Amino acid sequence: MSDFDPGRRRFLGHLGLAGLGALGASSFLSACASSASGPTSNGSGAVTIQSNLSSPQAKAAMEKLIETFNAQGKGTASLNTIASETFRTQLPTYLTSANPPDLYTWYAGSVANDYASKNLLLDVSDVWKSLDDYPQSLRTLSTDASGKQIFVPMNNYWWGFFYRKSNFAKWGVQEPKTWTEFLALCETLKSKGVPPIGIGLGDTPWVASAWFDYLNIRINGAPFHRELLAGKQRFDDPKVKAVFTRWREALPYFDPKGKAYPFQEATTALLAGKTGMFLIGTFFADAAPKDALGDLDFFRFPIIDPAVPLAEEAPTDGFFASAKTANPTGTKALLSYLSGVEAQEAYVKASSGIVLPANPRAKASDSPLVAKGKAMLDEAKELTQFFNRDSSDALQPTADTALTKFIDKPDQIDAILREWQAGAEKVFKG
Amino acid sequence: MNKLRTGAFHTGMILLSLLWLGPVLWVVVMSTRSFDDIAAHGVGSLPRSFTLDTYRQAWTDGGELRALINSMLVTVPSVALSLGLAATAAFALSRFRIPGRRTILLLMLAGNLLPPQILLIPVAKFSELTGLYDTLWALIAVQVGFGLGFYTFVLHGFMRDLPGEIQEAATIDGAGTAQIFTKVMLPLTRPALAALGALSFTWIFNDLLWAITVLRTDDNMPVTPALLALQGQFVSSWNVIAAGTVIAAVPTVAVFLRFQRHFVSGLALGAVK
Repeated sequence: MSDFDPGRRRFLGHLGLAGLGALGASSFLSACASSASGPTSNGSGAVTIQSNLSSPQAKAAMEKLIETFNAQGKGTASLNTIASETFRTQLPTYLTSANPPDLYTWYAGSVANDYASKNLLLDVSDVWKSLDDYPQSLRTLSTDASGKQIFVPMNNYWWGFFYRKSNFAKWGVQEPKTWTEFLALCETLKSKGVPPIGIGLGDTPWVASAWFDYLNIRINGAPFHRELLAGKQRFDDPKVKAVFTRWREALPYFDPKGKAYPFQEATTALLAGKTGMFLIGTFFADAAPKDALGDLDFFRFPIIDPAVPLAEEAPTDGFFASAKTANPTGTKALLSYLSGVEAQEAYVKASSGIVLPANPRAKASDSPLVAKGKAMLDEAKELTQFFNRDSSDALQPTADTALTKFIDKPDQIDAILREWQAGAEKVFKG
Repeated sequence: MNKLRTGAFHTGMILLSLLWLGPVLWVVVMSTRSFDDIAAHGVGSLPRSFTLDTYRQAWTDGGELRALINSMLVTVPSVALSLGLAATAAFALSRFRIPGRRTILLLMLAGNLLPPQILLIPVAKFSELTGLYDTLWALIAVQVGFGLGFYTFVLHGFMRDLPGEIQEAATIDGAGTAQIFTKVMLPLTRPALAALGALSFTWIFNDLLWAITVLRTDDNMPVTPALLALQGQFVSSWNVIAAGTVIAAVPTVAVFLRFQRHFVSGLALGAVK
């Protein structure tokens, strides 16, 4: 080797250079940083909405709403649609950043309360003053532990056993009301060679949590369910085991292929008549071809114990705002607009999803399916959200593991529940 | 016997290339199917429909034009800047007896061995501190910073093996350090630079992680997060996503075709003395 050795380079001592090297990548970062433009402060006072509604129809619907709001002249807003998966992982970063977006689409319930307890959310009690005709259940759902409202609901949807009317007619079967009728229906379908219960657990294992939620609120009731998910009850409690004893009765009727594919393909299987029915939320209809939509119907999760007050899963979507917003007045004005009848009806109309507007005066779309769903929720004494929304995104994986294992090896339920409890304890401590 | 071997070889190779091309073909076919076809028969079934409207949807509704422009705005300066800086660093480290040069090089490389995931939060906070959060500058800075160690290492190895006599001759002819670098070293390093250029272009263009870490406005997003944004919360139009993917693959394929020659010679250079 013939390295050059110009003496003047010597002044760079060992230490200085090693230090420079240690800084490595970050020293270049700061070098670039200082040469580039300064902070991008939002001088115009426009309210930014960070939205996870990235499906084309929902995105278009939101764009239209914001356009209308801007045209009304009560303020300006700009919409920022982020891929929902990205949004989910980045939401804590958005909220804790120094210059956060003002408004966010997200879920009501314990997920929102969690952020509220860290003082990240704006008190929107002012907005709620004009929402006095909203049902008490939604108000409670939007209130945090300290008693102030931190969430404004936009819409909710329901879960149920969906099926094709034409297929049920072909097989000559009726909607079941009770668990016994439900099992009899499964037996009939099985004897006709159709896997009765469709499910899609590959990539979307959380779908199984709907079964757990529903069986638990049908057997033990919604208050117990909420306490369990809040860590106040134990997963290895005999009451929880009773849930799985019931589930085991239905387990032989599950579509064996359901473990391999995601719920979107389970939807395809249901529509093609390869499964009889499918416990799923209304969002699945987005994965259905348009000509099949009119043929869809659903029935509520069968009643197991008539003494338990009727509860249904009705995940509520809406908005919360950052406590650090530079423009609280504008943010609240936008929230008032979004919770108004006009905006809610426009959203329901433009988005293809089957959703129910949160505002009691706003009309839902007038399809028989939506009317039936609304009636079912109105009849319910209690509404739950969904496993992860009633607990946390951190607890959801423990449920996914436990439930997938149970479906595979139902006779190991005691060990599975012990593991679940241990996993949940870690989450609640962390 | 010989014929049999040739035949077997070709059959094997055809099957192997089908294995590689299969997923690509699958995506191209999917991009021409209608949503109802996919919804009714699943993503894996044979196509029963043909449409090119998916490309229009990806281009206009998906905002892919804006995203591609952003991608180029990030990728081109990042590649130029990181290769330029890496070449200067490699020149200094390989051709001059700088004290502790091995330590410097190893430190730069060690930075690359850290999994980027553990740096996500520091980088996000740091870009906020510098006021660059949510600007393309932040993404450029991150890409340059994280690429630099590896590029310097590769170029260092390459430059070290260039004969020292060339440099001596240039010095005797009166060339200064800057002149030696630009007139002698850079032209000689061209194959390595071209190969690294093609590689880094692909890496930076296809990066998703850093983009979603330092950006939050959809108008600023490069093409990878924009493709992700075509996915809905529950249900995705796979045909439109496939079409968007095909469009997004065009720039990298073009760069690779353009630099392919350098790429092969760059890799093989120094293999045979």
